[in-house]
Amino acid sequence: MTRRTLPARAEDRFVERRSAPETLVEFHYQVSWRSHSAIPGHHYSTQSGGGFEFHGHAPLISHPDPRNLDIHASLNDPFGQFVVRTFRQRSAIPVYVLADLSASMAFTGTRNKHETLAWFSACAAYSAFRTGDPFGFIGCGERIDPNFWIPLRWYKSIAEELWKRLNNHIPNERSARGLLETAALIGRKKSLVFLVSDFHFPLAILNQLLENLETHDVVPVVLWDSREQDHPEWGVIRFSDPESGNSRFLILRPALREKIRAAFRQRRDSITRLCAQFGREPFFVTDAFDPEELTHYFLR
Amino acid sequence: MNIEFDHAQWLAGLILAILPLVRPLQTAVPCSCTDLIPDDPLSEAGDWLLRLIAASTLAIIVLGLSGPHEKEQPIEKVGNGAHIVLLLDRSASMNQNFSGRHMGGRASESKGRYAQQLLAEFVERRGNDLFAMASFSTAPIYTLALTRDRDAVLSALRAASLKGRGITNMAAGLSLALDFFTGRAMTGSRIILLVSDGAARIEPEARESLRQWFHEARVSLYWIYLRNPNGARLAERPKNPDEQTTPEYFLHQFFLRMEIPYKAYEADNPGALKQAIRDIEQLENKPILYFEKSLRKDLSAPCYAIAAALLAILLAVKWIEIRTDRP
Repeated sequence: MTRRTLPARAEDRFVERRSAPETLVEFHYQVSWRSHSAIPGHHYSTQSGGGFEFHGHAPLISHPDPRNLDIHASLNDPFGQFVVRTFRQRSAIPVYVLADLSASMAFTGTRNKHETLAWFSACAAYSAFRTGDPFGFIGCGERIDPNFWIPLRWYKSIAEELWKRLNNHIPNERSARGLLETAALIGRKKSLVFLVSDFHFPLAILNQLLENLETHDVVPVVLWDSREQDHPEWGVIRFSDPESGNSRFLILRPALREKIRAAFRQRRDSITRLCAQFGREPFFVTDAFDPEELTHYFLR
Repeated sequence: MNIEFDHAQWLAGLILAILPLVRPLQTAVPCSCTDLIPDDPLSEAGDWLLRLIAASTLAIIVLGLSGPHEKEQPIEKVGNGAHIVLLLDRSASMNQNFSGRHMGGRASESKGRYAQQLLAEFVERRGNDLFAMASFSTAPIYTLALTRDRDAVLSALRAASLKGRGITNMAAGLSLALDFFTGRAMTGSRIILLVSDGAARIEPEARESLRQWFHEARVSLYWIYLRNPNGARLAERPKNPDEQTTPEYFLHQFFLRMEIPYKAYEADNPGALKQAIRDIEQLENKPILYFEKSLRKDLSAPCYAIAAALLAILLAVKWIEIRTDRP
C-alpha cells in the first residue's frame, strides 16, 4: 500500500475547520466484468491484444505474429495451417465518485461525515491514478453542483485538489436528488461508480437511482456514524433534521434507545437487500473510513 | 366569584403564552435523519405536555403580574346578641389621671387608657354581640361599623388609646352612635356603651333631638363614668348645682329624664363593670341576620406559587436535557 503525504496544512488550524487526513491511502479495486475499453489498463478486458490471458487460436494469416506461433496447435490443425495464440489485453475502466452533498452529510458524530466523504474521494482519486484509470467526480445536492463536477480524465493530482475543495464547502442542500441526473453525465461506458452517501433518503429514490445506474458497477458506500444510532439511556433531547427542518422531541429511555438501534439495523438490512438486487452489497463505513477494508471488500 | 385586576394592561402579555406552542422548548441537536427514528407516542405526548406547561407558566405569571383579586363580597351571617356601640370619649380631659385604683393601683394611668382596658375586657366577655365603635372629642369620629370580628374591635380599641384632644362634645358623639342603628332591623337589644368622664354640657335643642332619636331607635344607654379624683359622684346632688362646675350631674339627670333604659356605672367601683355585663346579659336577644363584607382576597400570590411549581418542572426537564451530541 503506497502512502503519499498531503501538502502541509495552513498554519492557522482555525481557518480550516476540518481536521486533515495526514496521508492519502490507496485501496485496490477490482471488477468481475470485462472492460470493453481499448485503452490498456489494469482490468480484465474483452479486447484481444498484448496480454497474458489466453484468448484462443487464430490462423497466422489473420494474426501475423510469429512470436505467438503455437506449434502443437499447428501440427493438430487438419488444414495444415500455422496457428497462433491470441491473448486478451488488460484495459482501463472509468472510475466515478458520486457524492451526496445534502445537508445531512454535515452531521458530526464521532467524525464529520463530509470530512469522511472528502477523504474517501481523495483516496479514490489517488487510487484511480495509481491504478491507471480515468477518474471523475460528481457532487450532487438538489441538482448536480457544477463546482463539484470533475469530468472523467487521467488526473495526476486531483486528489489533493478535490480534498481541499470539498473541505472548504459545507453541505447545505435540502436533498440529494441531483444523484438521479448523474447517469446522463457518466455515459454509456460501463464504469466503476462509488456512490457515497449516508443513504438517508427514501428507498424508492435509491431504487430509482440504482436503476438509472444499472449499466454501471455501483459500489454503494454508506457513511454512518455510531453517534446517530446510539443515544444516552436517559434524558430528553430535541433532534432537528437539517434537510427537512423537522424537529423531533424524544424522551430517551432504554426501550426507545433499543428501538432506534433496531430501526437502524432494519434500515441497514433494507439498504443491503436493495443494493444486492443490483449487483453489489453496500460498503458500510461506520465512523472512520478504512481504505484497507475497502480493498478487502473487493476481494470478497 | 368576582375577579378584578389591579393592572389589567398586563394581561396583554398573555399573548406571550403562544410562544411555547409555536417554538420548541429545547435547543435542537442536529441529527442526520429524524425520519429514521421510530414513532414514540410517549415523547410526542411529553412534548405537548411540556409546551402546555410552559404556556400556562407564562400565562400564570402574566396573570400574577396583573394583580388579580376577588372583589369584596357581602357574606350573610346569623348571630344572636345585642348590638353594642362603644362610644369612647377622646377629649383632652381623658388624659388626666384616673381616681379609681381597683385595677392594680395604677393611679397614674390616664382615663383614656383605663377606658380602653375596661372596654377590651368587656368586649372579650361578650362573645355573641355585635360591636361598633365611635369616639368623639370636638367632633365625632366614625371608627368601626357593627361587626362580630373581635380582633377588629380590640384593634380599634387599642388604636383609640392614644392621647386625646379637644373638648367633650357629647351630643355629636351620641348622635353618631345612634346613627349606627338607622336602617337596621330591630333584631336585638340596642345599646350604646358610653365611656366618658362626663365633663360635658348638652344644648337644650340637642337634648330634645337626642331624646327623640333615642326613642325612635329604642336604644338603651349605659354610661361608664370615669370620675375625676376630685369630681362629683353622680348619685349625690352637689351642694351648689351649676352646669359649669358639675356638668356630669346634670348630664345624668338629663339621661334619667329621657325615659329610656339607662344606667350609669361609676368605674371606680370594682363591681361596676361586672354589674354592667350582667345587666346587658339579661336583655332579651333575638337571632340577628346581618351581612359582613369579606376581605379582598389577593390571588397573585397563589398565581406565583403555581408558576413556581411549573417552573420547577420545566427546570428539571431542562436539567436532564441533552444539548449536544458530544458528551
